[in-house]
Amino acid sequence: MRRPPYHRDPGGRLEVKMTPMIDVIFLLLIFFVCTASFRNEEVLPLPFPPLPGTIETAVEIDPLEEDLDEIVVKILWRDGAVFWEINGQEYYDLDRVEGVLTTIRRLKSDLPVILDVEPAVPMENVIDVYDLCRQVGLEKVQFAAPEV
Amino acid sequence: MRVPANLTRGGLGFNMTPMIDVVFLLIIFFLVSSHLAQQESQLPLDLPGAASGENPREDETRRVVINVVHEESAEGQIVVAGRRMKTDELEKLIRYERDREPDRELEVRIRTDRRVAYGVVQPIMLACVRADVWDLTFAVIEE
Repeated sequence: MRRPPYHRDPGGRLEVKMTPMIDVIFLLLIFFVCTASFRNEEVLPLPFPPLPGTIETAVEIDPLEEDLDEIVVKILWRDGAVFWEINGQEYYDLDRVEGVLTTIRRLKSDLPVILDVEPAVPMENVIDVYDLCRQVGLEKVQFAAPEV
Repeated sequence: MRVPANLTRGGLGFNMTPMIDVVFLLIIFFLVSSHLAQQESQLPLDLPGAASGENPREDETRRVVINVVHEESAEGQIVVAGRRMKTDELEKLIRYERDREPDRELEVRIRTDRRVAYGVVQPIMLACVRADVWDLTFAVIEE
């Protein structure tokens, strides 16, 4: 690279060629373009403890009753489709499930939620429900286990 | 590059510009290669999406990353550090990591493909609990 000739204009001031500076700017630009990632990988933490132990299934509780100790959300799988059951009531729409969880959260905000998931359910549906609980504000989510 | 032969002007005879370019090139090379090396250690997977995800802790936490891929065959879906294994070997590995440094916290990160069945992941979670590791996280894509 030729040394940029230092010109002096008639007024005696120094002027410098911009070309190398533009080279450097392009290099930096290319670096940031190459390393930019648009898919941010994040984590969903599982609160302690993740698996509470054996739970009884088919507990019949009126969902509007206020003295709930815990809420069991079952995630079920039939013929390639996921559906949910909360306290004996079946739901086929995730928005309805969100509504129920929001109502429950208003009744008792630190209620533990237990997810009882069938083995065939894909992880995206499990994470959907877990994410929904966190969004609604129910932080204590646990997964039911056959035995610990 | 022309070397200036005349140094009688009293100023520095060589120009700094190529040197600055080379320094920038080296900086950018090391930045890009370390970024790519870090990304290579993560198996590309179609992670499940979640809106309430948190940024992973970048501190000194020891971490075991368990990848669960989605494949036609049922066997060998768990991949840890490039090695395929089954649940019992995984539990041994987690116990080994746990016992290696008992006074440091161990985090187990589970990265699953979104189509993987829960029945594959549940034994992993059980294995972690049996190995007395309670800091479990799921890797998700920000939605």
